Amino acid sequence: MELFRAEKITKQFSEKFVLSNFSFEVAKGDKINIAGRSGIGKTTLFRLLLGFDNLDKGFIYFEGKSLTDEKVWEVRRKVAYVSQDLNIGRGLVRSLFTETQHYKANLLHMDSSDKEILQQLAYFDLPESILNKNIEELSGGEKQRIAIVNALLLKRSIFFLDEVTSALDATLKIKVLDYFLGNDEFTVLYISHDTYLPENTSLRTLKLDENE
Amino acid sequence: MSETVDLSFFSMVMCAVLLLVPVLVASYLKLGVTRSLLVSTVRMVVQLVLIGFFLEFLFKLNNAFVNIAWFLVMLSAAVFSVLKSSGLKIKAFVFPVFLSLLLSNLFVVLYFNYFIVHLDFIFDARYMIAIGGMVLGNSLRSNVVGLGDFYQSLNKEEQFYFYRLSLGASRFEAKLPFAKRSFTSALNPTIATMATMGIVSLPGMMTGQILGGSVPLVAIKYQIAIMVAILASTVLSIALSILFTVNYSFNKAGVLNKSIFASK
Repeated sequence: MELFRAEKITKQFSEKFVLSNFSFEVAKGDKINIAGRSGIGKTTLFRLLLGFDNLDKGFIYFEGKSLTDEKVWEVRRKVAYVSQDLNIGRGLVRSLFTETQHYKANLLHMDSSDKEILQQLAYFDLPESILNKNIEELSGGEKQRIAIVNALLLKRSIFFLDEVTSALDATLKIKVLDYFLGNDEFTVLYISHDTYLPENTSLRTLKLDENE
Repeated sequence: MSETVDLSFFSMVMCAVLLLVPVLVASYLKLGVTRSLLVSTVRMVVQLVLIGFFLEFLFKLNNAFVNIAWFLVMLSAAVFSVLKSSGLKIKAFVFPVFLSLLLSNLFVVLYFNYFIVHLDFIFDARYMIAIGGMVLGNSLRSNVVGLGDFYQSLNKEEQFYFYRLSLGASRFEAKLPFAKRSFTSALNPTIATMATMGIVSLPGMMTGQILGGSVPLVAIKYQIAIMVAILASTVLSIALSILFTVNYSFNKAGVLNKSIFASK
């Protein structure tokens, strides 16, 4: 099933083109590594798909329908996005989880039980005590993992991951990539410089500089 | 209690002599402010004399419509002052901010006059203009801080705002922490002032009333009431300013419209 389709999209900031006449498709279950030198527009691509930025030219479709200003709200309810920006909020980690689950759009699925949260924390090597810590006190790597857990607790199946392993050590990097790339149900678009690939995963690479 | 001693012409001359202290120090140290010091003094004198005559006229006339009209003039000046220092584009915000300051301050002042002072004539010039001016002046300062802070921090921390949207937050849910912070930063100065009031400083209104012959205990009661009125109008005016401007300031996709900021 086709999730996203981009046709000849172009985006420029003042004089500089970050994407030019770029086309691609994303089908359910795809694992796509978005590659290209820095400044080429990898993060911009995520922002365009989530409606945080507007196209200059071209079309984007989500589930077969044109991605309008109204449609982007649907994407935001179906895609779990972990940005490279680590400004994920203030206050207790536990409150971040609770608040996210209590957004009206997320109330449809059941609250994550404590057991579920603890399982996720344990998988990513985070202690239970982190729930009662302030987000401001966390290290970059801890924040990254908290953002990942927060995204997983949403129980969505499409993920946009922007450099989510940059502050993690080698073992954790593998754990994170295993988790996302090894799950057949997940559709994953990710930006990362890691070359690790779990066994039996068919990965597609989307090179943004190819069209130049 | 005696009436305030009126200041004679000779008193004002003595006051001018006192002015020599800052003028001489400024020119001796070549501070470069002598000229502006004198200009400002003259401006102050002229403006106050004019407003003095005007207020006397206003108090004597004491007509509801005229009082409201003057209240609106003060309000308009306030709106421009809010917008000029908030970094927001005046053209786009002038109407909604005017409306929110009008509704919140008019409500608070009339409530004050009717329920607290029990005036028979709630548009009484002395109360409407004096109390109105104080409430307006103070909620104005908070409004500059609050409204500016709301949009500036949404702009500066756009990534955080986007993060919340991407988690499924509605427009309202995504903006909530920004609104909360803007309320806090707007209320903090007033809260701090209240905590030290009477110890660190005697508020201007109390000083004025005591000089005017009021018993300190009466002046205190007024001061308490006016601080509460300021808090109420601050909260109301920020809530309304955000409410009235938020739709215009974001596009349909929920992204902040950058053209709301005044170009520097």
